[in-house]
Amino acid sequence: MFEFFFKYPATVFSKGQFVLLSAWPAWVLGLAIIAIAVGLGWNIRQRRGFLTGTRPVAIWLLETLLAALLLFLLWHPAISIATLRPQQNIVSVLIDDSRSMSLKEDGKTRLEQATSGLNGGVLDGLRKRFQVRLYRFGKDAERIDKTDKLTGAAPASRLGDSITAALADSSTLPLGAIVLLSDGADNSGGIDRNTIAQIRQRQIPIHTIGFGKEKVDRDVEISEVTLPARTLADARLAAEVTFRNFGYAGQKAKISVRDAGKVLATQEVTLKGEGSPQTEQVQFNAGIAGAKSYQFLIEPLAGESNTANNAVTRLVNVEGAKPRILYIEGEPRWEFKFIRRAVEDDRSLRLSTMLRTTQNKIYYQGFEDKKETEEGFPAKPEELFKFAGLVIGDVEANYFTPTQQELIREFANRRGGGVLFLGGRETLSDGGYQRSPLNELLPVKLLDRKDTFHRDPAKFELSPQGRDNIICRFDEHADRNVERWKKMPVLADFQEVGDAKPGAVVLAELNASGKRKSPYRPYARDVLGAVIALAGERLAGPRDGVDAENRARRRDQSSTSRRGAGQKLQTAV
Amino acid sequence: MMRRRILTVAGIAIFGCLTLMQAQRSYMPFHDDDDSPAPLPYDANEKTEWAFARLIYPSGRFYGTRGYATIDSPKADRQFSLGVRRLTRIHTRSKEEYISLDGDEVFKWPWLYAVETGHWTLTDDNCKKLREYLLRGGFLMTDDFHGTDEWEVFLSGMSRIFPDRAIVEIENSDAIFHVLYDLDERVQVPGLVNYPFHKTFEKDGVVPHWRAIYDDRGRIMVAMCFNQDNGDAWEWADSPRYPEKYASQAFRMGINYIIYSMTH
Repeated sequence: MFEFFFKYPATVFSKGQFVLLSAWPAWVLGLAIIAIAVGLGWNIRQRRGFLTGTRPVAIWLLETLLAALLLFLLWHPAISIATLRPQQNIVSVLIDDSRSMSLKEDGKTRLEQATSGLNGGVLDGLRKRFQVRLYRFGKDAERIDKTDKLTGAAPASRLGDSITAALADSSTLPLGAIVLLSDGADNSGGIDRNTIAQIRQRQIPIHTIGFGKEKVDRDVEISEVTLPARTLADARLAAEVTFRNFGYAGQKAKISVRDAGKVLATQEVTLKGEGSPQTEQVQFNAGIAGAKSYQFLIEPLAGESNTANNAVTRLVNVEGAKPRILYIEGEPRWEFKFIRRAVEDDRSLRLSTMLRTTQNKIYYQGFEDKKETEEGFPAKPEELFKFAGLVIGDVEANYFTPTQQELIREFANRRGGGVLFLGGRETLSDGGYQRSPLNELLPVKLLDRKDTFHRDPAKFELSPQGRDNIICRFDEHADRNVERWKKMPVLADFQEVGDAKPGAVVLAELNASGKRKSPYRPYARDVLGAVIALAGERLAGPRDGVDAENRARRRDQSSTSRRGAGQKLQTAV
Repeated sequence: MMRRRILTVAGIAIFGCLTLMQAQRSYMPFHDDDDSPAPLPYDANEKTEWAFARLIYPSGRFYGTRGYATIDSPKADRQFSLGVRRLTRIHTRSKEEYISLDGDEVFKWPWLYAVETGHWTLTDDNCKKLREYLLRGGFLMTDDFHGTDEWEVFLSGMSRIFPDRAIVEIENSDAIFHVLYDLDERVQVPGLVNYPFHKTFEKDGVVPHWRAIYDDRGRIMVAMCFNQDNGDAWEWADSPRYPEKYASQAFRMGINYIIYSMTH
């Protein structure tokens, strides 16, 4: 109806701009209307005759409105609308060529629906008025001349990148609009704010045509997998797998990680709320060195409509180089031996140790270059920075010179090295660290007193953060891992520390009889380095090092304590 | 009548012999006080990283008085502990600990010393426990056994602990001889019975041996001081009559063995 009367649809008018086409300015119109209103008023006042009450006012008002309308029309009012000029503007048509477009719905794939629509008159209609550029896109946008080049086989659809590429391709041309045909299944992280801002800046309208159902009846889809791009051989990796489900809430699903078809880990999960993203951590062993393509798969569920979106692959560079770790120990201790044994079994690390056996003698192990053992603890960046991790055992702060203390701080802050503090009777609070530059590195506040080290049994409990953190994982399955922690032997000694500093994560807490709960394994990762303090630590038990080893092995045929030691050092790297 | 006379003569002879033996003992310049309860050090109960852990094993009776496992104890143990405390940074307890193979207590003591192992009579359970202990990272130092016969007795026990592992001579280049003190030049450390030490061996154990059993990674699990008596050297190191060179080596050897066991 609106169009019948006003020729154009209401949307056109809403987008248009009102203008007066008369050469005379608009203020003259206003002035003329006022002048006529005044003149008419004066005239009626002089000649009102028998008219009384409101009648002369109403007559004046009607006359004034009529005169104002006539004057307004004399000023030639109009609506100005921007419109594309035939054959002088370009319209880019982007067609999603990803695998999800090959899904069949109502007897036709989404891609077939798109092409039949385009070839059924849409393209011809566009070409009559505009120059049309066809693109297919998956990971990248690619110009095509006909729709028969579409295959529906691209592994991903990057909407943002593809629109940006199409805009860039026509940056010097009068691009009038973009028509985007897609099912919207973007599995490459969506469109970021920068891309949206970039598109908005060009002021190009994007017309979207969607395919597929807005809501899938029964489906599970992995939308994202995040894990480090590089790691060490034999290291444990924690992948965050994000997925969503439709129609399976409350049911169990199995996530598996595969490398070249070999299953590395599986994890059973309970599917949560319908359609909402759910993230689970899956841990697995990186295996031997090389470029790895890990496949993350949610095993298809009964009645699932689309199984093509159940898997995602990620590339990880598993480095063969064995980073070196420097471990300085202030006195012979049993865990020293068991840490060394743990790292001997670790294919991804090399451990160089300095042990103060007497007041004036250091016993070096794991140093191939004898020159490295001539001057004691490194005093120059080039000497210390060749190591990727540093373990500080029962060493008092003053054993290090001010230069060395500053160097250790730089090691974490500038080099990005990991530092692990083991605790002991002459270190942390008992070693004066609270008054040294090294205090800054520690993720816990140190108590300002001595006698914080106790050779008494203590039990540790995983914190909620520790439960999910890879440092505390001995088992791929979270529940089994917690059980293994509960069965771990008690620590035979521990050290009291203060609260965790802001930003630090407490992975476990110590519970010693008669003592307050103390953070154990606080962990902080700043911009570069990782710093861990073990506020009570016996990697293999204290004077009962053998016992801890024994109990760990007897329980599950593997050495949990040793594995824990290796894992901590890997984390430090 | 004749019979009574023979018994009288025999009794006098036996008494004479015992008197002679006792008389000879009194001529020794040492007081064999190793089995006397030594005064308990004031810090005997200190909780430390390391303590002298003496293995108590089944055996016959030494001169019919006590088992062989506690020979030289506690004086040797405490005097050696003093040395460890003074010469190293190991947090050391002043008092020894006796460790039996019954139960799991042994697993709390990663370094064990066993004396007179030429007299041990280990049970099957003892052998099994020791094997488990050693394979898990424990360390055993055996000492003060001499000659072919005692070696055979020792071997009969050890071969039941490790029937599948060879006993080998420790090479001079092994870390155990260098971890703190360089012990390339070694002498036979004699026991007290050798006083005045014109000879240093007992029985037919003329040549001292430092032997070992290694684990699969080449780490020593059992270190055998055969044809030597380091325990006596520790015990009598405070006596001016016991030669210093033997005492020094015994201390150095023992300390090296401890530090090796804490580093390998």
